[in-house]
Amino acid sequence: MRRFLVVFAILVVSLMTLPVSAIAKNQEEAISDHCESIRNSLKTIQKNDAKARVHLGGRYETILSRFLVPLNVRLVENNLPSADLVENQNDFADTKVVFTNDYIEYQQNLEELVAMDCKNQPAEFYEKLVKVRQKRKTMEQDVMKMRTLITKQINAVNNLMSKVK
Amino acid sequence: MEEVKEKKKLHRGGRNLVLLGLGSILIALVTTSISLAVYHNSGDIYIDRSRPGFLPDEEEVKEDEDEKEDDYSFQKSGTLTADVLREYLEKLDIETKAIDGYKKPFDSSVLSDEKLGIPPAEEGES
Repeated sequence: MRRFLVVFAILVVSLMTLPVSAIAKNQEEAISDHCESIRNSLKTIQKNDAKARVHLGGRYETILSRFLVPLNVRLVENNLPSADLVENQNDFADTKVVFTNDYIEYQQNLEELVAMDCKNQPAEFYEKLVKVRQKRKTMEQDVMKMRTLITKQINAVNNLMSKVK
Repeated sequence: MEEVKEKKKLHRGGRNLVLLGLGSILIALVTTSISLAVYHNSGDIYIDRSRPGFLPDEEEVKEDEDEKEDDYSFQKSGTLTADVLREYLEKLDIETKAIDGYKKPFDSSVLSDEKLGIPPAEEGES
């Protein structure tokens, strides 16, 4: 009985440690066959992302340093400090840092993906692709959060307008 | 005897010159490697569009030239009036429109199987 249990346990452990392929055979073949074209698409995406990062990063910096910070300073000077606007400025600055760091992480992963041998290692390539997709999703959410904070700023300033002469 | 001494001096001088040259090359290699490591680890490599492969297309250069920079900055001092805030919102709107003009940045569908030409999994094949 004990021997049976030992053999059973070894079998279970072996089955659990077997590499599970998340990719179907036909997908593996497609990745191998079209490896070059997939890599070229990824390189184009990488290039466009760099453009988006530079464009958005510049705009976010402008909004923070030329709109959000000066307005709060001026409000304090006019004895009209707004907790909402200060909170929004802090959230904006924090999210901007998150956006910057997430982009670096995303690009590092994308670069590793582009460098992978998709012809001979399609399953590993796909596994990495899934990871890169998650990182890209995070980037998309960061951009959406930044946009929400800009809208919040506009609404807060509109409210403020009704309070001043 | 003097001649031998002179020759030895010359030989030592030549060797020192070679050592100096090799030392300079070594220092240059080490400092360049450190710079590249910093450039890579800081993430600047990913936003450096002058990097090979990231060089802008001709149309993009023209676009950039067409973009006129507005150096507006909200003043940190002065009285706050509705007019001042109205101008603030107008200028902020320019920035917002520039951001919105960038259609779907980091759109997650770009990396989908379909877009990359990977077919759907056929049943019973995984």
